[in-house]
Amino acid sequence: MKPPVFAQMLAPVRGRLAVAVLLQALAAVAGVVPMIAVSEVAAALLGGGARPERVWWLVAAGTAAVLVSLLCAAAASTVAHVADNALQLRLRRDLVRHLARVPLGWFSATNSGQVKKVVQDDIHSMHYLVAHTLLDVTSVVLTPVTALAYLLGVDWRLALVTLLPLAAGLALFARAMSGAGPLMAEYGRAAGEINSSVVEFVDGIAVVKTFGGARGAHQRFIRAADAFHDFFSRWSRRTTGVTTASQLAVSPVVVLIVVLGTGLAMIGAGWMPATDIVPFALLAPVIPAPVSGIGTRIQALRGGDTAAKSVTALLAEPVMPRPSDPEAPGEGGVRLRGVGFSYDGAAEVLSGVDLDLAPGTVTALVGPSGAGKSTLAKLVARFFDVTEGSITIGGVDVRRIDPAALYRTVGFVFQEVALLRGTVADNIRLARPDAPLEEVERAARAAQIHDRIQALPRGYDSEVGVDAEFSGGEAQRISIARALLADTPVLVLDEATAYADPHSEARIQQALSAVAAGRTLLVIAHRLATVREADQIVVLDSGRVVEKGRHAELLARGGRYARMWRAQEPAQESRRTDTVVETP
Amino acid sequence: MIRALFTALGPENSGPLRRLLALLAVSSVLQGVTYALLVPLMEAILGPGPGSAWPWFGVVAVSGLSAAAATWTAQTAAFRTGSDLARVLHHRLGDKIVQLPLGWFDRTRVGELSRMNSQSVPQVMNVPAHLLRPAVTAVLTPLTVVAVMPLFDVRIALTLVVSLPLLAVILRWSNRMVERADRDRHASIDEAAGRVVEFAQAQPVLRAFGRAGGDGALDRALAGQGAADRAMLWRAVPGLVAFGFAVRAVFAAVLIVGVHAALGGSLAAPALPALLILTARFAEPLSAAAGLGASMRISANSLASINRVLAVEPLPEPARPVVPASADVEFRAVTFGYGDGPVLREVSFTMPERTMTALVGPSGAGKTTVARLLARFWDVSGGQVRIGGVDVRDIATEDLMALVSFVFQDVYLFEGSLADNIRVGRPGASDEEVLRAASAAGLDEVVAALPRGIDTPVGEAGTLLSGGQRQRVSIARALLKDAPIVVLDEATAALDPENDAVVQAAVASLAGRRTLLVIAHRLRTVQAADQILVLNEGRITERGRHEELLDAGGTYSRFWQERSRTRGWHLTGAAGQGGG
Repeated sequence: MKPPVFAQMLAPVRGRLAVAVLLQALAAVAGVVPMIAVSEVAAALLGGGARPERVWWLVAAGTAAVLVSLLCAAAASTVAHVADNALQLRLRRDLVRHLARVPLGWFSATNSGQVKKVVQDDIHSMHYLVAHTLLDVTSVVLTPVTALAYLLGVDWRLALVTLLPLAAGLALFARAMSGAGPLMAEYGRAAGEINSSVVEFVDGIAVVKTFGGARGAHQRFIRAADAFHDFFSRWSRRTTGVTTASQLAVSPVVVLIVVLGTGLAMIGAGWMPATDIVPFALLAPVIPAPVSGIGTRIQALRGGDTAAKSVTALLAEPVMPRPSDPEAPGEGGVRLRGVGFSYDGAAEVLSGVDLDLAPGTVTALVGPSGAGKSTLAKLVARFFDVTEGSITIGGVDVRRIDPAALYRTVGFVFQEVALLRGTVADNIRLARPDAPLEEVERAARAAQIHDRIQALPRGYDSEVGVDAEFSGGEAQRISIARALLADTPVLVLDEATAYADPHSEARIQQALSAVAAGRTLLVIAHRLATVREADQIVVLDSGRVVEKGRHAELLARGGRYARMWRAQEPAQESRRTDTVVETP
Repeated sequence: MIRALFTALGPENSGPLRRLLALLAVSSVLQGVTYALLVPLMEAILGPGPGSAWPWFGVVAVSGLSAAAATWTAQTAAFRTGSDLARVLHHRLGDKIVQLPLGWFDRTRVGELSRMNSQSVPQVMNVPAHLLRPAVTAVLTPLTVVAVMPLFDVRIALTLVVSLPLLAVILRWSNRMVERADRDRHASIDEAAGRVVEFAQAQPVLRAFGRAGGDGALDRALAGQGAADRAMLWRAVPGLVAFGFAVRAVFAAVLIVGVHAALGGSLAAPALPALLILTARFAEPLSAAAGLGASMRISANSLASINRVLAVEPLPEPARPVVPASADVEFRAVTFGYGDGPVLREVSFTMPERTMTALVGPSGAGKTTVARLLARFWDVSGGQVRIGGVDVRDIATEDLMALVSFVFQDVYLFEGSLADNIRVGRPGASDEEVLRAASAAGLDEVVAALPRGIDTPVGEAGTLLSGGQRQRVSIARALLKDAPIVVLDEATAALDPENDAVVQAAVASLAGRRTLLVIAHRLRTVQAADQILVLNEGRITERGRHEELLDAGGTYSRFWQERSRTRGWHLTGAAGQGGG
């Protein structure tokens, strides 16, 4: 039932698990001993003329066995849990390390909830398998086997009879499960219907309600729920009888009736002494007991197995190769030659891009949304590997540069700011965790955010989200401070940042000007006016460079750029109006 | 737990559960009686003439088979009740979701509701089917055994009677130990989960700054989670062992008391094994019950969260709804807060029909709240929101929703084609009307680029479309719905000049035709407004037309002066000096 992947996953804790299983085996065997002791006590007393010392010895042995069994079981469970605990941490760390190396596109295609599911929930689901099921199976097999072995010694014929309920229980259970495969798939489909209808119903609730579609979405949800329940009741109606019968067959009451009835007949026929019935009355109910929990165990195994598979699948996600003997990026500019890129291997996002970013110059990427501007910018920092051509920094291919050296060379100011939980200082220090506070403050000052941070209750030690709440524009300035402190020679900048929060536009612009100074800059531009002074403007369309040059040249050419400029003419008008506004 | 089940079901659906509990009680007691009858049976078998045991066997068999029959009936009912329970819960949750005020649905709530319907409900379905029977058996069967024990031997009965409260106390204690350890662990699990989500979401930043290797905060959180799990283990082990130990200790005590009595001659030799067999049957359901703790706790938590949602009071519907005659909007001294301090204080303004009002102010000033109160996402805590002179609380929800149309910042796209998504605005709209709305919302280029045009499925949550394009879908919906009052949030539109143009066009086409409330950032929008409201810390600090406010020289004029300076900003070339 367990695939080899799972066994491989367990390898690091195999030794500890073996110890746990051994302890559990001991516990299972010792757990049967008290019942055997009681049987022997009964035999001694019923035999008449029993020596009290022997009886008390048996009582002592039985009590001691109880203690041993309990302690071994506790120890087994503890060892297994400790092993599982170590395994969980190890797997989580492996996953995180692995994820840090998969191409960035994987993250945009997969939502963060999915990552959380695997790293947290799936690893947790495996917990049951590692820490419980292994021991459970050991005990569930060994306890009846020990009991049966003893009973076979007492009277083999009646011992065989005790197996009848087990056989009946198993046969009935097998019948209940027959055809479960396709039904499980059907169950999954029906449950999936509920999921998607509830997502539509709940996630889209605002749309649904304000556009008066609440009744429809509600009905779809109820229909999906009803379909699921109709299917499920049909299924359970069909199997309830057999399942319940299998549970009853192995219940202590039924087992005792079967065994005591047969025993009584055998005693009457003179096949066995009456006292031999005692161990059967005590131990027979133990033998078929495993059947009663078999359903939940199979479910747990299946759940754990599915979880293990998704963990394995994630660990098998291809990563971007690391250079075997990395080179340091040289001095000089960034050069793209024949760069082509596709996220899925089919649709080309970029093709045949040639571009040179001379040291200390500003290059602007312009073009309609979806033209490939952000993708191109991200390739420079090797968020993805190019599918064609090459990108070099100072003559060294980015794929041959050590990742640690690469991020010291290329910096980013993103449009979406991600402030991490932690102190404000640590957020600014992201690239240089050991930067002294003076440098952090200098960066914050240049990014126009120092005063705001100083005004916080604990200044730079305030915790983001706890005693430091920032507006969009303030968060932008922190991310700019980050880039300033990282102080990379090449910087990729999303100009949209400047407009993220209209209420602090001016200060963001000041901060951006500060961070741009003296670097090789690649700007993803949305408003052409912002980049009209750039050293080089690159017009991208459908992943190709269609025009390249300075503002005046491109305007004069009357091509794509000139058309875009004219299309943004209303914006120019409004600027003129603003000028009027400025001097009312 | 059982009380929570009844609460979740509601009074009108609780009959089957009550019947199930009665059936389970009967089957558990019958089981206990059967075990008790084993004593005379065993005594007879082990006595002088085993043949005399047959009548007793008959009695045991009858009692045992009736117990089995009762269990059969109970278990069948349990499966049915479980499945009915889940159906009732889905229906009740569905009905509740329709009633809940829109304001209730924040991001975490939405996630919680999805989880509740897809995971918690099936979880609760298991309670009657798999948990209730062992739980009831664990209580009633041992109690029956204890109750009949005095008939056979007072000393052993006393031992059991003394042990019962002890067992109960130990079980309570051990459950509480495990629960407390578990609760402490939750903080570290949440921290680690939060860090994992952050790790995934902030991946671009982490990579750009060389921090994606999983060192630092995430690794500390993972290690912390591991340490907390271990700590929980050490704290839970005594609790888990204690109950198992206690149950076995009871058996050992009975053994010792019994053997002592038997050796002393005050207990007949055949009676001892018979009573020990009965004691073993007493202990077995108890041991089984101890293993149910974890599943019980999970189900109880699921039930509690479902009950919390079911307990939320929906906004009251008017008894005699009034249909407003016009689309004038009036806020009369509106005060409102989400719980911790007021967000709006004494906000008063009127929006005459077919005029345009622009709301401006820093983030957190309460602009979105004003828009939400207009459509009664929440009820005001003071004052009144009136449409056409009618308090929104006196308008039927459906009528109110028909009056107001929204262009959201956060656009939700349903599975289905682009056309379907636009048609959400007015389900009966013709293809031509849908196309016209799409065109008016600047979606022509998008439609042309899609492989199957307007009939292209947008993919789950609209992955095919960019943020700006999705907002245009929202505009198309609003245009198609053509409600008398339109609320529009410009915020994200600020990012993209293409979108900006579309939003401006939409505003222009609605101005003068509809009552328009715009949360405004763009100068042109504000200039065109019939009235501008400046909101600051929940109060309207200035109001008037653009020129009036500029002349007044207050916050508004300072604000726009700064904004206009930023217009000219640009990044410069090799000299590397920014300026404007």
